[in-house]
Amino acid sequence: MTVEVNIPGPLADEMVGHCLEGRPHEACGILATKDGIVVKVFRMTNASGSPVRYSLDPKEQFAAYRKIDDEGWELGGVFHSHTHTEAYPSPTDVRMASEEVPYLIVSLAEEPPVIRAFRIIKEDWLAEEGRIEEVPVVVNG
Amino acid sequence: MAVEVRIPTVFRKFTGGESVVELEAGTISDLIDQLEARFPGLKEQLLTEEGELHRFVNVYVNDEDARYLEKLETKVAEGETVAILPSVAGG
Repeated sequence: MTVEVNIPGPLADEMVGHCLEGRPHEACGILATKDGIVVKVFRMTNASGSPVRYSLDPKEQFAAYRKIDDEGWELGGVFHSHTHTEAYPSPTDVRMASEEVPYLIVSLAEEPPVIRAFRIIKEDWLAEEGRIEEVPVVVNG
Repeated sequence: MAVEVRIPTVFRKFTGGESVVELEAGTISDLIDQLEARFPGLKEQLLTEEGELHRFVNVYVNDEDARYLEKLETKVAEGETVAILPSVAGG
């Protein structure tokens, strides 16, 4: 069980940079961890191409998951941006949450951008409702 | 040589943590039945009661989305790789 998201500063900057570059649309990607620390940011295409929706491009997701397995990393988180709202899961985020890893949200509504992380706990992964639990984000360096 | 099926993190609790499972060649439907035989409970995570892929499940054969091939009847030959992916999305 993840107790916190531990991310080196340069990788946090890379994630936020991807979100800023993605405007006006939401941006998204995944994080790989090793021994509980983020080691890689996968910047991915928002296949929904929307300011209010995101979906990982499945081909990129396939390649990234494969890389994570091949490198002996772990899927450490999923991130996306909220361009105009706070860094808190929307009802859509909860309804569509499928992974049990932390979901990081980068809010671009504030300057500087705010990063928060949440686990969305569901009875099973297809459930539409879930409980939101915040996970601390620790940025190092 | 068998078919390699890659299991995403969210389903590894059904596979005892295994991330790659080797199965005998067949259709995707056959592969899901083989998975269920080895890891009971997994099939209902992947398919609806009507026997279709859940809308949040993507299945890739090599690099192609099975929805754009022959769906569950897509044939997977020895040496090919199948990836099961949860759709990751939100708003």
